[in-house]
Amino acid sequence: MVGIFDVAFPIVSLIAFSLLTIPVLRGIRKTGYKTALTLVWFAIAFSVAFAAVANLALQYYALPSPQPFLSISLSDSSLSWLSSVFMIDGISVYMAIMFTTVCAVVMIYSLFYVDPSKRPSERYYAIMLMLTAAVIGAVFSGDLLTLFIFWEAAAAGSSFLMLYKKNRSSLNATLKYIVMIVIASAFIVFGLSLVYGITGTLNFWAVKEALTVLADKTLLILAFIFIAAGYAIEAAIVPFHFWLPDAYGAAPSSTAAFLSAVIDQGSYYVLIRVLIFILVPTAVLDWTLMLAVMAAFTMIVGNLFALIQKNVKILIGYICVADVGYNLVAITSLTSDGLRANLYFFLIGGITTALAFMAVGIINHYGFKTLKDFSGIGRKMPLASLALLMAALSFAGMPPFGGFIAKYMVFTSAIEANLAWLAVIGVLMSVVQVAYLFRLVNYMYGKKPKDEVRIKEPIKLLIPVFILAGTIIILGLFPQIVLNLIEPVIRQLPFIP
Amino acid sequence: MLYSLLLVFLLPALGIPFVYFGGKKSSKIAASIVALIAIINIALVLTTVPTILNSANHMYIEEYAWIPVLNSHFTLFVDGISVSIAIIAMVLIVAAALFSIKYMEGKKNLPVYYVLLSLLSVGLVGVFLTSNLLLFYFCWELMLLPAYFIIGSWGYRESYRAAFKFFIFTHAGAVFVLLGIGAIYMITGTTDLFAAQTALLSFPELAKWIIIALTAGFAVKMAIVPLHMWLPDAHSEAPATMSALLSGVIISAGAYAILRLSLGAVFPAVAGTEFGTSFLHGLAVFGVISAFFGAFIALVENDIKRIIAYSSIAHMGYVLFGLSLYPSEPLIGGALAITTAITGTVFHILTHAVSKGLLFLSAGAVMHQTELRDIREMGGLAGKMPFTSTSAIIAGLSIAGSPPFACFISEFLIFVGAFDIIRTNSFYLVPTILMLLATVFSLAYSLRFVYRIFIAPPKPGTTLDGNEKHKITDVPNSMKIAMLILIIFVVLLGVYPAFFINLINTVGFI
Repeated sequence: MVGIFDVAFPIVSLIAFSLLTIPVLRGIRKTGYKTALTLVWFAIAFSVAFAAVANLALQYYALPSPQPFLSISLSDSSLSWLSSVFMIDGISVYMAIMFTTVCAVVMIYSLFYVDPSKRPSERYYAIMLMLTAAVIGAVFSGDLLTLFIFWEAAAAGSSFLMLYKKNRSSLNATLKYIVMIVIASAFIVFGLSLVYGITGTLNFWAVKEALTVLADKTLLILAFIFIAAGYAIEAAIVPFHFWLPDAYGAAPSSTAAFLSAVIDQGSYYVLIRVLIFILVPTAVLDWTLMLAVMAAFTMIVGNLFALIQKNVKILIGYICVADVGYNLVAITSLTSDGLRANLYFFLIGGITTALAFMAVGIINHYGFKTLKDFSGIGRKMPLASLALLMAALSFAGMPPFGGFIAKYMVFTSAIEANLAWLAVIGVLMSVVQVAYLFRLVNYMYGKKPKDEVRIKEPIKLLIPVFILAGTIIILGLFPQIVLNLIEPVIRQLPFIP
Repeated sequence: MLYSLLLVFLLPALGIPFVYFGGKKSSKIAASIVALIAIINIALVLTTVPTILNSANHMYIEEYAWIPVLNSHFTLFVDGISVSIAIIAMVLIVAAALFSIKYMEGKKNLPVYYVLLSLLSVGLVGVFLTSNLLLFYFCWELMLLPAYFIIGSWGYRESYRAAFKFFIFTHAGAVFVLLGIGAIYMITGTTDLFAAQTALLSFPELAKWIIIALTAGFAVKMAIVPLHMWLPDAHSEAPATMSALLSGVIISAGAYAILRLSLGAVFPAVAGTEFGTSFLHGLAVFGVISAFFGAFIALVENDIKRIIAYSSIAHMGYVLFGLSLYPSEPLIGGALAITTAITGTVFHILTHAVSKGLLFLSAGAVMHQTELRDIREMGGLAGKMPFTSTSAIIAGLSIAGSPPFACFISEFLIFVGAFDIIRTNSFYLVPTILMLLATVFSLAYSLRFVYRIFIAPPKPGTTLDGNEKHKITDVPNSMKIAMLILIIFVVLLGVYPAFFINLINTVGFI
């Protein structure tokens, strides 16, 4: 039987490691084996977290019949529907596994990118662990309030990671980010209060059941608009996207990688959870057309803005926005293929953007920032450029990289849901994407560099980069590995005919 | 032989590390490995020929598990058509690899060049060897990337610009193919070519859109006017070896895909309807336009490689015209319907591949030895480069469609098939006459090409005119061998077409 301990353990252990990180790293700094000991410390932290998540997954699937919603309440009283609730189902297990894995790889990168021997870096790592814990907490939360708390902790907490460099532009971007997050949370809280007023509960399945039998839906629509707007801000859906490229562009690359792979992708989890599992369309609320239009705009705006972008890091920020659009297409289709596509795209998109930010981070480190600076970088820094090239190809949806299968699944699911127009827009925007990505490739390999000096690339930083690059290729050639993990989720969908 | 097609698929990929580290020592080793793998692959593919000739359905299929969730299997299959094109494609790879040794000498990063060449050969051959649409798309796009980098990094002048254009155009075409494939999967629940063909029969309305999306996508690769804009730049800026592969195999893959997917898999669903007939007529019209457009510009163009590039557009016009002669009656139960015209068309893909490959290699040899590319500055090279001029003349005559060289047979078969169809469908009368007229133009530009470069005396005042400093010699032996291989095929296909024609005729039932 899965107990409260099994669910809380990954979250609590990560928080504990996070709190211990500061004194431990300070202690390590005094010894002679800084790098080795730091690595060992985080290896322990992530092995424990990973073991905890794996234990949870095994326990859950060992149940005779894994229920779609397995809820674990904090209080066993008759008021359990009011209390904080943890919840496990296929999708949360899948998300938790993926987040832990991706976080571990990004952590390796951060360890070499943010020098651990310098002073405030221990806080950076501590916050990163804390955010991982918060995201996993959000994934396992079983009522709207717990979800809100964990999710806001993750979203607002990331501003500390952005501020690490403490220069003018990052301060500016962080401020913008915090303002957006605060507005978003205000919207969400207001929406939640409406939901609570309508249904008298915030518990996922209680809300769903209450809403299914709801006769007058005016208030619900109002609540939905507020919640949707709030989460749309956090997921950077057009027209609420403008903070993202700035914030990611100004943040250190390790932060940008972490945010794009974990926080940004985590917001899809919230969207999937709220839209597909609670506001079940037609039974509760038909939001598909609205979301389809938003998806179309997000793809168009993200890609067109990327087209005119000169700064490579901000360009990748816009790709993140466009990726949100592709994900929305999959959610909108409301089919099992759509959800499969979404979960696969979420993973590939997260890995690819993280990979791109990491590679760009290495190149930025030597002062190359704009497209023009990237001229001939392919010859000066062949390995980092190769990684960026692979990320670009995966974004562009070229086989044999993961992005191809992901996009293929997204478009087919749109066609299946009779949203062929959305698939056509997506495909055309994909061509635009290829255009600006290959303009970048063209600069990297086609133009002559200012000087032919070859730069010695930091091998340590390249290790996590190439782990992700290898993952993209492997998942592109053998998507079955991840699709098998997604299969149990598909069987638990509420709308499956 | 068991696993032979899987090996064909994997060998070039597995050979990449050897090619790279061999290439670090000397490019000779890398080139020989690439060529050797291609030769082994030819042998492996040939082992399937007895099965194709003797089995009941004239196919050879290998199937491996791949993505069961998406109902996609790693299905490798060959029939008479695909085996012929795959063999010719690998012959061109052998020739290109051998030609590269001296042609690319002194260029930078050669190990990477050979790695890209082997990667290209995976995609090039893979396209012809699979009946799974998803895997087909995999290989289809896999051709693009190595080609982009080869054109960009080792091409002439503004090569990256040309490569960029090539990439964007063909990728834009490819996404429509992807849309078509996705629609097929969504409608039929399968990505297998043959299962899809049967399942699509009950969706004639949707099949219309699918066939349009697929054909438009493939037509970009085939460089059919007005989707041809990428081709002249890409062909002329690429290194000669890449031009040979581009013109010989990559654009032919577009023709093959139209035949196999648009006509073979989707067309049965719309066959016999008004739409089906007008679709075929549309192909014929675009074929004629391409043939004339390409031939006209080839006649006035002065750049040695652009002439050949435009001639490729013209010849894809012939192929498209040949494809438009596909029987428009509903035929149930066969993979493909083979008529004289379709046999001729497939055979034209083969003959055009070797002839055009040879012509590009000869042009590359001329450019390599003289460092000129404007044919007005050339002349009288026949005496200085006897071998190159012989091969160029053979290739030029074949392109012009004169016997006994390869393209004569194939054009002849297409026209025989066309006249056959005119008896029942008078629409084809005008296009056929126009196509016959176009062959005159192709003779004209081929002769101009050969005459201006090799036979006519150099114009006074040009670099080649009696200037003793420019001692032009013929190409080194390895390049000669590469060209010789293709000469053999051009002549062989012309005098003994039976082997490939028999193979092609095993497909289908007319």
